[in-house]
Amino acid sequence: MLERFEEMAAGIEARPHLLRLGALFSETVLVEVGGDEYYLAFDRGHLVSVTGGPSKKTPWRFALVTDREALETFWQPLPPPGFHDIFAMAKIGRMKMLGDMLALVKSLRFVKEVLAIPRAAREETAA
Amino acid sequence: MSLEPITGRYLAAEIAGRRQRIYVEEAGQGRPVLCLHTAGADTRQWRHVMNDAEITGANRIIAFDMPWHGKSLPPEGFQAEEYLLTTETYMETVLKVAEGLGLDRPVLAGCSMGGRIALQLAARHPDRFSGFVAIEASDFQPAWYDIDWFHRPDAHGGEMGAALVSTNISPHAPEAERWNTLWMFMSSGPGVFRGDLGFYTRDDSLVGRLKDIDTARTPVHLIVGAYDFTCTPEDAARTAAAIPGATLSVMEELGHFPMSEHPAGFRPFFLEALAKMPAPERIAAE
Repeated sequence: MLERFEEMAAGIEARPHLLRLGALFSETVLVEVGGDEYYLAFDRGHLVSVTGGPSKKTPWRFALVTDREALETFWQPLPPPGFHDIFAMAKIGRMKMLGDMLALVKSLRFVKEVLAIPRAAREETAA
Repeated sequence: MSLEPITGRYLAAEIAGRRQRIYVEEAGQGRPVLCLHTAGADTRQWRHVMNDAEITGANRIIAFDMPWHGKSLPPEGFQAEEYLLTTETYMETVLKVAEGLGLDRPVLAGCSMGGRIALQLAARHPDRFSGFVAIEASDFQPAWYDIDWFHRPDAHGGEMGAALVSTNISPHAPEAERWNTLWMFMSSGPGVFRGDLGFYTRDDSLVGRLKDIDTARTPVHLIVGAYDFTCTPEDAARTAAAIPGATLSVMEELGHFPMSEHPAGFRPFFLEALAKMPAPERIAAE
């Protein structure tokens, strides 16, 4: 899973439009996958560090809680309905969103596109 | 270089006691089909249908921008108002446009909130239409988001709205049309998407009226996309089941904005829907 997040960090640097979209995004996001914690620290759109948990002393702005199978399905080139988008995953009960929802929504396009970078990378490999 | 067959004009009408200047587009000739856009968007969602010669060969496809949307300005005094769409104003707007254009019982085709109002009109003003195509439409859904997110002084409501509605666009949609669809949300006026959602997520008055729809007189066909998580196939199926005689088609690879996000995928389903609507000769004979 750490590799996927590293893929995101590199993917952001390769996409200037994401750095423009994320220029005001300096937050720590907790992504919990099947009980494993990953703290993604963003600084002005750059994903500067990914730290594994568990941690009770790392503050985060919002958290996305899911399972490995759901996330792998989300990263497929053509995910089935419900796994194609984080809000759809929440609606089918395969993702929970916790914390400061408004912070998430204010940067929603940036967050969605960053999380989907592994999908885009697979599409590029397949092409 | 090419010139599309779509033409646009402005209709002046008094709606709910206020003067409105409404932008209307059309293409084709034959049976009139009046098309309604979704919340937070405009007539451009119907651009592919209006450019489809097979559809416009026998149908006069007409769409208009609701007041506050697209090229229809908000009414005088808007600057001090909170925009909140209501069922009554929405129905009056559709009826006034049909009257202003001199349409004789058009087919009414609406998507999302447009589909919701189409079903309201099917229940309350069936004499004014010949049939109803309700796309991504249902009896009622409460919001699974906070509609106030989309109109606040510290963030761009349009960009947030677009990022949210992207949830309902199918991954099968061509990339260019996905972004054309999102552009309308990004560029809608401040508070307009929120005001539309107020109608869509708070007014449940259609629920008790569905049983009043007489599909023997005016057929009702629903279309829903499997990637729609605002109006899910389950929501559409529940709605269709409550309308005696209504029919439903599920589009496995489409989402909430099918005519705009994936025109080629939507086309066969819209043709199927139009084939279920009364032929022009039958409308004239009645």
